[in-house]
Amino acid sequence: MSGRNLRLALFVVLAVTQLAVAAGAIIRSELALRSGEVFRFKLQPVDPVDAFRGRYVNLRFELDRAPVADRLPNLHNQKIYVPLAVDRDGFAVFDSAVLERPAAGHYLGMRCGIEYTDDNGGRVVSLALPFQHYYMTEELAREVDRSLWRRGRRPAWVTVRVRNGTGVIEDLYVDGRPVREWLETGGPEQPPAVTAIPEQ
Amino acid sequence: MSNRSIRWLLNELPGLVSDGVVDDATADRLRSRYPAPSSLTGSRLAIIVCAVFGALLIGSGVILLLAHNWEHLGRPARTVIAVLPLLASQVLAGWVLVRRGDSTAWREGSATLLALALAAAIALVDQTYHTGGDLESFLWRWSLLLAPLPWLLNSSSVAILFLAALTWWAGAAKADRLEVIWLWPLALAVVPHVVSVMRSDRRGLRAANLQWASAVFLCVAAGLGLEWRVPGLWILVYTGLFALMIAVGTATRRDEEGVWRRPLEAVGVAGSVVLWLILSFDEPWKHIGWHHIHNDERFHQAASFFDVALAVGLPLAALAAVTLILDRRRHTLAMVWTVSVPVAAIVWPLVAASENTDLRWIAALAFNLILFVVGIASITSGIRSQNLGTVNLGMMVIAALTVVRFFDAEIGFVAKGLAFIVIGIGFLAANVVMSRRLKRAEGGAP
Repeated sequence: MSGRNLRLALFVVLAVTQLAVAAGAIIRSELALRSGEVFRFKLQPVDPVDAFRGRYVNLRFELDRAPVADRLPNLHNQKIYVPLAVDRDGFAVFDSAVLERPAAGHYLGMRCGIEYTDDNGGRVVSLALPFQHYYMTEELAREVDRSLWRRGRRPAWVTVRVRNGTGVIEDLYVDGRPVREWLETGGPEQPPAVTAIPEQ
Repeated sequence: MSNRSIRWLLNELPGLVSDGVVDDATADRLRSRYPAPSSLTGSRLAIIVCAVFGALLIGSGVILLLAHNWEHLGRPARTVIAVLPLLASQVLAGWVLVRRGDSTAWREGSATLLALALAAAIALVDQTYHTGGDLESFLWRWSLLLAPLPWLLNSSSVAILFLAALTWWAGAAKADRLEVIWLWPLALAVVPHVVSVMRSDRRGLRAANLQWASAVFLCVAAGLGLEWRVPGLWILVYTGLFALMIAVGTATRRDEEGVWRRPLEAVGVAGSVVLWLILSFDEPWKHIGWHHIHNDERFHQAASFFDVALAVGLPLAALAAVTLILDRRRHTLAMVWTVSVPVAAIVWPLVAASENTDLRWIAALAFNLILFVVGIASITSGIRSQNLGTVNLGMMVIAALTVVRFFDAEIGFVAKGLAFIVIGIGFLAANVVMSRRLKRAEGGAP
């Protein structure tokens, strides 16, 4: 094989890899969105004036840690799986983190943060969920500027479709309503909802 | 001979002939020996620059359009929009590889476009599905998928983009306290391209640009890539790195080339001066060495060993380069500029091994002396070779040292004042001696 043909062959391999990485992400996400189980992840209350200024909303989850079984080694920086359950209010909670992919039930795969001991003396690891941003169009984000005068933190959560360890955000809810609807109907100008109970 | 020198010579020839310095036959022989440099080189360069910037702007424009987030298009349409520019630029690059492989403009342009289309595809997929996480994760995936392109498409602009993306990733990851041990192995991906450009056109613009990018990358990456487990290893790493750059740059340069064509030397010299000024304080020498090793679990074992390998390997490589490839008579000044390597090799272990903290003053003093000696050596060497740039460099080193010491709060005013006066008298004495010598030389001249 001449030098140029070798280069061309390797270039084709690289091009296919580049396409495969993009396509892989698309297919994984589409599968999760189409056939994944829905979970609600509660966010820390959002101040729209700060949150909707940029191109995306930085999601700060209330759920940012998981317990660890005592028999496991230190999990720092390892790939772990965290089984998901639902609490009384209908929001997702984490069961004990494990190293192997669970055989049954729903779970998320992610990289483990640092480990520490909670107030009850149990082992806990900090987690950064694999979805951290919610992207918006520039126009929608600008809607919020009109209501600059009404600051205040509002209850918020995201719905996430989970399939085979992959979680993909479906929608962002503020004051109990999907964020687009909330923005388009002057949500930021209304007073914050006192309680927002997700419709089951 | 450089193009500029040839043009100068050709312009001088008619005058030299009319003044009778050379005859017509000699002038003709000189003209045939040094033909006028064609302006073709310039136009070719302009074509390449246009291709690269055209691709850069179009690619960036596509990224901006995609960043707008056309939500109403729906997911299927947006995924197609994400992948289509990538596919198109891949096809273009493949076509260039087969049909226009010899054209630098085509190669650089299509490769740049492909690199940016790849970034756009990754970013738009992340945006569509709200996945992908941080900037650092994006930069990592982009760098990985970009790595083979510089060699495959023989493109220096993509090599520079790749090094920039990799450095940015390492910075972002380090800020998030993540592991960056893959920085060096991945950076090796540009080596085949750099070697092939250096082989085919060592004096060309692409080689110079690549050397600039590599030199700057090495400076930043040496700091970012370190695990910082043993405090103070950076002193040895950077001393060795800058000395190695100076030695290699000096050995491979041609004297008539300007600073822009000597990136290794320029970065090595500038980096050395800044480093030595920092090391001329005692603060960086506090709490260094094995006694102060961090035993936190955050540290990566292999990366810590790599730190030690760099701290030993780079100074050794610099010493080897100085002894093997530098010419003792022609490159005396460059050898003086690498004197910090043996000094650091002696002083660092002394300070690290001793519990006696006073030793760090010796280290700081040693680097003050290095700055002083190198400054004076540059000035004298510049005067001797009539090279104003070298004289100015030496004066800048001395001036920087003076300013830093003048405002150094750790030394008492009396000691500082006396030292300044003594050194000032030294300069005046040197002035008197040199003036006398000059007068004697002029008086002795016929």
